[in-house]
Amino acid sequence: MTFATSDLRTAWLLTRGSDRREWSRVALTAVGAGLATGFGLGATVLASTSGRYRVPLAAGLLDEPGTRSGVMLGLTLLLVPVLGFLSQCARIGAVHRDRRLAGLRLAGATAGQVRRIAALESGLACLVGSAVATVLFVLFLRDLTEDPPGFVWAGIALVAVAVPVLGALVSALALRRVVASPLGWVRRVRPAARRGPGAWFLVAALVLLLAGLLMTRDPFGGYATASVTVFVVVVLTCVGAVWLTGAASRLSARLLTARTGRPDVLIAAERLREDPWAAARTHAAVLLVTVVGTGFMGVRHALLRDLNEREPRMPAADMTYYTTGIDLAGAAVLVALAITLSGLAVGAAESLATRRRGLAAQAAAGVPRTVLSRALLLETALPLAPAVLLAGVGGMTIGVWYGVVVGGADWSVPYEALLVPVAVYVLSMLAAATSLPLLRRTLRPAELRYA
Amino acid sequence: MSTHSEKSAPLLAARGLTKTHGRTPALRGASVELHAGEILAVTGASGSGKSTLLHCLAGIVRPDEGSVVYGGTRLDRLPEKRLSELRRTDFGVVFQFGQLIPELTALDNVALPLLLAGASRGEAHRRAGEWLERFGVLGQKELRPGEMSGGQAQRVSLARALVTGPKVVFADEPTGALDSLSGEQVMSALVHTAREARTAVLLITHDAQVAAYADREVQLRDGAVVPLGVAA
Amino acid sequence: MIGMSTRHILLGLLAGGPSHGYDLKRRHDERFPQARPLAYGQVYTTLQRLVRDGLAEVEGTDSDGGPERTMYRSTDDGARELAGWAAEIAPPAPFVTNEIFAKVVVSILSGGDPAAYLREQRAAHMARMRELTSVKTAPNTDLATVLSADYALNHLDADLRWMNTTAARLTTLTAEVDAS
Repeated sequence: MTFATSDLRTAWLLTRGSDRREWSRVALTAVGAGLATGFGLGATVLASTSGRYRVPLAAGLLDEPGTRSGVMLGLTLLLVPVLGFLSQCARIGAVHRDRRLAGLRLAGATAGQVRRIAALESGLACLVGSAVATVLFVLFLRDLTEDPPGFVWAGIALVAVAVPVLGALVSALALRRVVASPLGWVRRVRPAARRGPGAWFLVAALVLLLAGLLMTRDPFGGYATASVTVFVVVVLTCVGAVWLTGAASRLSARLLTARTGRPDVLIAAERLREDPWAAARTHAAVLLVTVVGTGFMGVRHALLRDLNEREPRMPAADMTYYTTGIDLAGAAVLVALAITLSGLAVGAAESLATRRRGLAAQAAAGVPRTVLSRALLLETALPLAPAVLLAGVGGMTIGVWYGVVVGGADWSVPYEALLVPVAVYVLSMLAAATSLPLLRRTLRPAELRYA
Repeated sequence: MSTHSEKSAPLLAARGLTKTHGRTPALRGASVELHAGEILAVTGASGSGKSTLLHCLAGIVRPDEGSVVYGGTRLDRLPEKRLSELRRTDFGVVFQFGQLIPELTALDNVALPLLLAGASRGEAHRRAGEWLERFGVLGQKELRPGEMSGGQAQRVSLARALVTGPKVVFADEPTGALDSLSGEQVMSALVHTAREARTAVLLITHDAQVAAYADREVQLRDGAVVPLGVAA
Repeated sequence: MIGMSTRHILLGLLAGGPSHGYDLKRRHDERFPQARPLAYGQVYTTLQRLVRDGLAEVEGTDSDGGPERTMYRSTDDGARELAGWAAEIAPPAPFVTNEIFAKVVVSILSGGDPAAYLREQRAAHMARMRELTSVKTAPNTDLATVLSADYALNHLDADLRWMNTTAARLTTLTAEVDAS
């Protein structure tokens, strides 16, 4: 017990003494944990209800077990972009934090202590987020139903505790290299992490997908139901797009570095050549959202077409029931997109912050800011273009296939789905561009003074 | 060597510079002159304001008070865009480390200023190769800064600073991270090339043996020049 | 150069083959450019002492169109003596005569300006260091010259560092000297 208190005290001291970037990591981690808790609680509560209820929400979508399963799956899948966001947040000030922990190790802390301290740091941040989300959720739930049964409360408690515990575990796991070689990590300036294309992220996404499918015991209501094929296409397209991002980074980098005479292209291409998988890791969630979003637009197109044909024969309440379902799914895709883009912006800002001394030196040597800004945007634009294209094609395939299933010979091309990859690409560039004001501040000569 | 300082107008002159970082004063009325082709060492203890003086003279930092005149132009009044251009065309900088882009090869790092000036890739590579050869690091042209020794990286930095044929090279502790033998190679490469091309050098160092490569020495203490630092 | 013996240096130069006094002096000055040049008289007296002690012997005379010169060569005893000397470590100097320190103290005692003295001395040291550096970096300088210039530069640098720290501690030193 004294062990734990002294570690807690150290963790608190370190957190209190840390700089603005570390605080922003804590804050953003808490936000991500809050989102995860919220989605997790929603899915859990839905899973623990069975039979028919009257839920005064979403035009009665939550009344039926079938549609409830759909909503539940949606909520679970929203955890994927949240995970992507959290992994970007973990990078904020990572170099600094790793050095500090390695310093602790050099000062005589045992490997176990360092791991516990790190776990406590991120666990506390997740706890704050999860506590806030849980309180809000419970207030919301009390509004809906008078008296939820005991096992619903148990589920809520489980999720509220699981989020911070998982956060702590993941950060302890991520630190195993720091713990193993304290000296190496104190000296190394840039962590040369060249792992595969976000392997962990893909595994986590697959696990969530499976969990979601298992939780939705009941089949979807309404139309041709969720088929395993759709998920296989989604997963394959995502893996393909992520792989393509890496391959495209490598190829375009090789071609461009050999030929270009433009300094901004040269800098961006060389950065890609150095670590082609970095872009793939960062963009995995963007690509997933593109596939799902494009596919969704295709499905929506087919469903609305079908509904419009049947409309004269259908009561108005049923019509709202279906359109609300579609709108809700659309909203979920938008939320996922927003979370993913935030993650992208956080990642871009962090990548700048890590390189700030070198960038300030470039500016001091007279490299114009416009060149550095363009290099920064090209770094996102170059690898993302082919990957988003492939993701769009995959999503489109799902959409068209669904259209054929629903409409038969009468299907039509869901042109509006084509807008999704374009919009995602443009929005991703905008998210990357949010770091430009930071670049301006980074290029101040004060950054030259300290390493 | 101090004789020619009385004859011609200085190439670069700072008068009464003051600069405060937050609440810490870095410069309190420092004045320095640099003549064309002259190698000037600025020495002093850590925190004496050496680096800030270099930043002001190179137009990287704007002084709070005082003037910096380069070839008849007040640098402290130029807009940032013009300063950036001037640093690209007329000045070269060498820091202790960090001025090479880690992802670019030695050749591309040296070619970068030429590309920025609008040269073609082939032409830029050709001239960059010549400079690498001059500093004895042509064999390392395909390596990235992290793959070279400190001394090699600094010689690549020198090549990058000199490739555009600048009028002034600003060197801030260029040998600070090197052992004495590598430091000696970097310094003699710098001094030889500067004398050949009649490039003026402002050399910041805390090491007297490095300062001895210069024609003249200015000593800073508490942000001002110590009188009688000049060789009689 | 305390402890450095001219006889061993001459023996060393003779180890390469017979030579006469003038040639030895010239080669000495070339090899050790930063050392004080040898006087002819000193070369001849040293050679005669080497012959007396059986470490060198007269090889013959050689006129070569000019005045007659006596050629000397090293004996086996001379070679042994030289090998022994070269392998023997030089004792780290137990006492360093520090003229600069003495002047600073005297300056404090006599109410002078030790800070000004240190500044002037520093400037003089720097001037000498610049000279040595330009000798060292001149094109086609041989390594022997570079190394001997380095030796001098490092010693001057040590003085300089000592002067810098002393200048920063003059107030305390003044109080201490005045108190005793």
